[in-house]
Order: sequence, then C-alpha cells, then structure tokens
Amino acid sequence: MKNEKLVLDVAYQPQERTARSTSSIMLDVIIALIPASVWAVWQFGIQSLFLLVVSVSSCVFFEWGYRKLLHKSSSIGDLSAIVTGLMLAMTLPPTAPAWVAVIGCFFAIVIVKQLYGGIGKNFLNPALAGRAFLMASYATIMSSYAVPRSLKSTVDAISMATPLTYMYGGQEVPEFFTLRSVFLGTMPGTLGEVSALLLTIGGIYLIIRKVISWRIPLSFIGTVALVSLIAGSGTMDRGSWMLYNILCGGVILNGFFMATDYVTSPITARGQIIYGIGCGAITMLIRYFGSFPEGCSYAILIMNLCTWAIDKAFNNRQFGVSKKDVKAAKAAKKAAKEAAK
Amino acid sequence: MPKTFKGGVHPNYNKFPDVPVTVIAPPDQVVIPLVQHIGAPNKPLVQVGDYVKMGQKIGENGDAPVSAPVHASVSGKVIAVEPRPHPLGDLIPAVVIENDHRDTPCTDLAPLTEEELKNGEAILQRMRDAGIVGMGGAMFPTAFKIKSGLGKVDTLIINGAECEPYLNGDHITMRTYPEQLLKGIECARIAAGLDKAYYGIEVNKQDAIDILNSFHPEKYGIEIVPEEVKYPQGSEKHQIKAITGREVKPGGLPAGVGCTVISTRTCYAIYQACYEGKPVIERIVTVAGSAMNQKANALTRVGTPLGYLAEQCGGYHDLRKVVLGGPMMGICATSLEAPTIKGTAGVLYFTKKEDRTVKNPTCIRCGKCTTVCPMHLQPCMMYMYYSKGDFEGMSRYHVTDCIECGSCSYNCPARMPLTHAFKTAKLMFQAKAAKEKAAAEAAAKEAGK
Repeated sequence: MKNEKLVLDVAYQPQERTARSTSSIMLDVIIALIPASVWAVWQFGIQSLFLLVVSVSSCVFFEWGYRKLLHKSSSIGDLSAIVTGLMLAMTLPPTAPAWVAVIGCFFAIVIVKQLYGGIGKNFLNPALAGRAFLMASYATIMSSYAVPRSLKSTVDAISMATPLTYMYGGQEVPEFFTLRSVFLGTMPGTLGEVSALLLTIGGIYLIIRKVISWRIPLSFIGTVALVSLIAGSGTMDRGSWMLYNILCGGVILNGFFMATDYVTSPITARGQIIYGIGCGAITMLIRYFGSFPEGCSYAILIMNLCTWAIDKAFNNRQFGVSKKDVKAAKAAKKAAKEAAK
Repeated sequence: MPKTFKGGVHPNYNKFPDVPVTVIAPPDQVVIPLVQHIGAPNKPLVQVGDYVKMGQKIGENGDAPVSAPVHASVSGKVIAVEPRPHPLGDLIPAVVIENDHRDTPCTDLAPLTEEELKNGEAILQRMRDAGIVGMGGAMFPTAFKIKSGLGKVDTLIINGAECEPYLNGDHITMRTYPEQLLKGIECARIAAGLDKAYYGIEVNKQDAIDILNSFHPEKYGIEIVPEEVKYPQGSEKHQIKAITGREVKPGGLPAGVGCTVISTRTCYAIYQACYEGKPVIERIVTVAGSAMNQKANALTRVGTPLGYLAEQCGGYHDLRKVVLGGPMMGICATSLEAPTIKGTAGVLYFTKKEDRTVKNPTCIRCGKCTTVCPMHLQPCMMYMYYSKGDFEGMSRYHVTDCIECGSCSYNCPARMPLTHAFKTAKLMFQAKAAKEKAAAEAAAKEAGK
C-alpha cells in the first residue's frame, strides 16, 4: 500500500464540484421542448418532423464542420447545437422547405455563434437571429401558416392566418379560435408557438430544474399582459384581448426559451427583470405600431444588444457598502469636483 | 427562523458525527512545524538530543505580538531540527521528536486559579502561552485577535456553523463536552471584556443545540443562535451578517464593525488551556474521502504524518489527492510525510473520482456563480477581465472582495476555474500595490535629493 514514489495531484479549491454540467443543462432544455415538438408533429404532420430533424442535424453539422475546419476543439458534446437547431425549427412555419431551415442553421451557427467564438461568446440568440435572417430573406415562406389537423374539418384551405393577424388587422377573430383552442394549441403558427400549455409545462420544468430563473419569463409575459390590458383594443373586451396577446404570437415560447438564453441575457437579478420588461414592452410596441403582428423575436434581439449595458448598470450591491455609503461617496466625489473648479 | 445570509450553496455534506471518536496512537516520530500560525515565525527552543515532555514549549518568537508558540505533542528525544514538508506546502523548519510512548506530561502550565479565570489579562496571557490559534483553519493567533479588538468590539461571535462538508469535529465537541465548551466561551468573553457572546450553530446540529441549551448557556453570558444550513455560513463575514446584520466593509476587518469571531474548537482549546493547563497538542481530525477504506473522527496529536494517519484509520486505495480541511476551502497537501497541524480540522483522501475538471472550460454566462456568491460579486465577469489581465475591469467588479469560499466554482456547470483565478488575481493586486509603493518611495527619495 505504501508507495514511496506516489506523486499527489494538486488542485486549487474547491475540491468538489456540482454534478450539473453544461451538457446536462442543455439536455434539460431539449427535454423541455419535447412535448411541444411532439404536439407540432401531431398537428402539422410528418413534414414538421422532417423539418425538426433537418434543422437539428444541420446545426450539429455546421458546429462540427466549422470547428473541424479551423482546427478548434470539438464542441458538439455540450449539446448546445442541438438546442439551437431545435429552437430554430420551433420558429419555422410547418410548410417551410428544408433548404430554408439549412440556411437558417448556417446563419445561426456559423455567422452568429462560431464567428464570435462559439458557445458563450455570441451576443445575439442564434436561433432568433437565424429566424430574423430568414424573415428578411424569405418573407412569404416565413409567413404562410398551414392549417393544423384539428381545424382541417372547419377550414377548407391550405394555409390560413393566425389569430394575431386578425386581431391587429382590425378584424373579428374567427370563432373557432376560442381561448381554449389557442391555449391548447389548435391554431396555425410556427412549429413551436402553437401549444401554450405544453410550452408552459416545459418552461416550468426548466424553472424547477433551476436551468432558468422565473425572473425573465415572468417580467416578459407580465409586461405583455399589463400593456395589452391597459392599451386594450376596440374589437374585444380587455380580458380576452390580454389573454390572446399572451397565448398567441410566440410569447410563451420566447419568454421561457428564447429570452432566457444564458449568453444573451443579463446575469444579475435586477438586470434580468429590466431585460424581461424591455422584451415585453418592445413586443407590444411592434404589435401596436409595427408592420407585423408577432414582434417577440425582434424585441428579444434588440434586448440582446442591451444586455451588456444592463449588466453594467444593474450590478449587485457590493457587500459591506450600503446604499447610504454609495450616496455619500457620490456626494463626496461631486464636492471634490466642485472644489477643484 | 434560523438566521442566514444571501447566496451560498448546498454541497453534499457527507457528515458522520455518529462515528465514534478513534484515538490515534501517536506515531514513533512526530514532526512539529515551527510555523502553525499567521504571523512571525517561531524559533526553536530545543536542540537535537534534548529530552522533551508532552506539552513542553519547543518553539516561540519572543515578544512578537502576532505569534503563537508550539508545543511537543509527545514526550521523547529531539532527533532533528530541520526543514520538513509542511502541510500547506514548502519545506519549513520543524522539530522532530522520537516518541518514547510514555507521554510524560509537562507541568509548566498550571490550571488558572478562580481569580485568574475572572481576569481577562490572565486569560489572554494563557491563550498566548498555550499557543492558541484560530483552529477553524485560519490559524490567526487568538490572543492577538481578542487583544486588538479590545475597546472596539461590542459583539463576540462563536462560530459553530461547521459548514464545510465532511467535517465533524465541532459537532462532536459540542455533544461530548458541552459544559467545558461553554466555560471556554465564557473565558473568551471575559478576555474580550464583554457581557455577552453569540454562538451561531447550523440547525443540522440540532441535537448539539439542545444539549448546549440544557446547560443554561445564559449562565455563562452566551446566547445560542440557530442558523440555516448553507455553505459558507462559517465564513467570518457571514457569521457576522447572519447574527448581527452588519456587513464588514470591503477591505476592512471584523473589528471595524465591532465583531470578533472565534471558532468552536478554539473555544474548547481555551477551556483546556485555562482549566486544565493543557496547550494545543491534539484535536479531532475528520478522516474521510473516496480513497479511504473507512471514515473516522480521529483524535490526533499535532505532528502526526498524513500517511500514518490514513493507515491508522483503515488505509487507503487509488490515492490521488490529499486535502487538508474541508473540500470547499481545503488546500492540497503535496506529501504524505507532512504532519497535521493545529488548524487541521480534517484530512480528505481522494481518488480520481471527485475530479470533475474538463479540458477546455468555456463560460456559458449562465450566471449561476452570481446567484451563489455570498459577497454579491459577479464571478463570470471578474473571470473575463482576469483572463485579459485587465486590472481596471477586475477592480470595477471588486475582485479583491472575494473570500475564496469556492461557491462559484462549485456551482459552475462549465467547470471554470473561478476561485483559482480570483486567488491569483488578488495576489496580482498585492504585487502591483507593492510595486507602486516601492516606485513611489523611490520617487520620493529622488525628489528628496
């Protein structure tokens, strides 16, 4: 047992670490998205499954290929490329052709993520940036929505408009879009935005697993609710107007999954709430005054750009320095400046 | 409601206070490092060939205020006074004693008399003579700590959190010697010239709290404060925060907010010194870890080599790492020949299993470090500036406030070496300050000419 030549390992503290790892967190996000994905496949058929598979596999391929080509360490093991692929597919309409998904994935992984240094370095949410790119390039494809299975007997068409299009187009919302149907997800839309119920379950799973905190989803969705409740609309009573605003247009998907992306959202507690409020407010601004009814993705992308500033402005209070101390220090600085004059 | 602070983590505690205390037979040779405290190093008082008794003073540094003497933990012959591996690294002068296994006691320190026990000065002198240092691990000379706080400090806090995983010594001491412990705290309180001491204990030691309460701590001027179970509750700053609500200023000392914090084991050592005339020569060392065949709460003499200790506790296998103290703040030993010292609360022997480091750690900005930082810092931002060597950025994020508790690194899913970085950063700041000071002095000299 006694080994004279034993050389002991030396490491800095702490000697123990949590079992939680980057890949286990990413796996949790994937798990949380599964119910909504299954629902999408059920509602929109096998083509949406194909779209999901193409999107995920091309993201993984681009991530692997880029790092291989540039002789960098492989990073597909952290599963973040799978998450990006899944998220991007969630923002595509079910009828989008596969090549659109591939182009979106290329933009998301190579341009937005890897060119800035890979995981942890991108300043925009890759999936949303990919979607924004596709929206700008292929607007028609990106805004034609297939009829879901549950509405096939009522609506005799290939594509149809979303509830939000009716709402912000100043039209009556057709009666088959009941609050119950938009909550459960029998409505047209992108793959991932339809079932508010299943997305909320996924989001709550993430909060329970401590992958995300409640701050961003609550402040985001809360702001959307508050603004729509106060501003209202002529066509509907305020209560249902608010609920439609929350349940349609991807607020749930974006609030729980997109806005909470680690890299592109603030770190401090106060910063996260400000960021969530910002996302909600810009979403509503776009809906009321912009040219399209959704608005979430652009709102988040804009707030992504503010993350750095928010983090700086809302730093935590330093331990041992009270608000009084900060004020006193500021006053002293001011006095010193004036004295210097 | 148990008291607490903001932030912190919940590691696997792996505690085993119910494993009975094993008395470790002193080895044939003990190695007593002459430095077992923070402050001026000791000079040896003995020479090779001298016979020393158990408890005899063998090293001290005259009148240096920040210093604590060391004592022989066995009786026997001094066979060497030379640099030996120190548990905290490096070779440091040590007295090596060949044990005669008789434990002939030294009677230099008599128990204090009734009157002396009520005299703060006498107690402080005794603390100094008995070589009492902060036995929670910091090893700051206790007599100096209390003396320097006289007049400034209005609250004495005893740290019974024992928030590091594995360690059981404090818990066992509370359960086994409640009355003695309370008497020791009373001595510390009298020495600090205060009417009341607060004893903060985490509620995972509820049985110990009940036992201590049954001995009427109020009789000794002590109030027991239950605290939430959370790491790092035992940090000096967070004991003060939890119990008094005060926050130590950045770069300041606890005395700056009128507090002194002393650990449980130190108070028991004070009892032994004052009531039994016994210097610090032994303590309970928790021996555990994945490489150990058995775990043990070992009553160990100061100067017992780490390899010998492990063998006495049932042996080890696949050993890769030896950690002194708890796993969160413990320091790795580089040699199994290094002995235990006064501040060694535990020795953990680990295999490769605990090693969760990865090859290319990459921050994903999840903010889990910020959530748990008990100092309200943003470790991920500090790390970013650290990796660029940006001093301004690091000081904007208050890197020097870091208490190196390890919570951020523990909680980091990306396995970033955060605490390591901040420890280095703090040294960089120290070096920079020293350099600037030297430059300023040189400039002043030039100007003087």
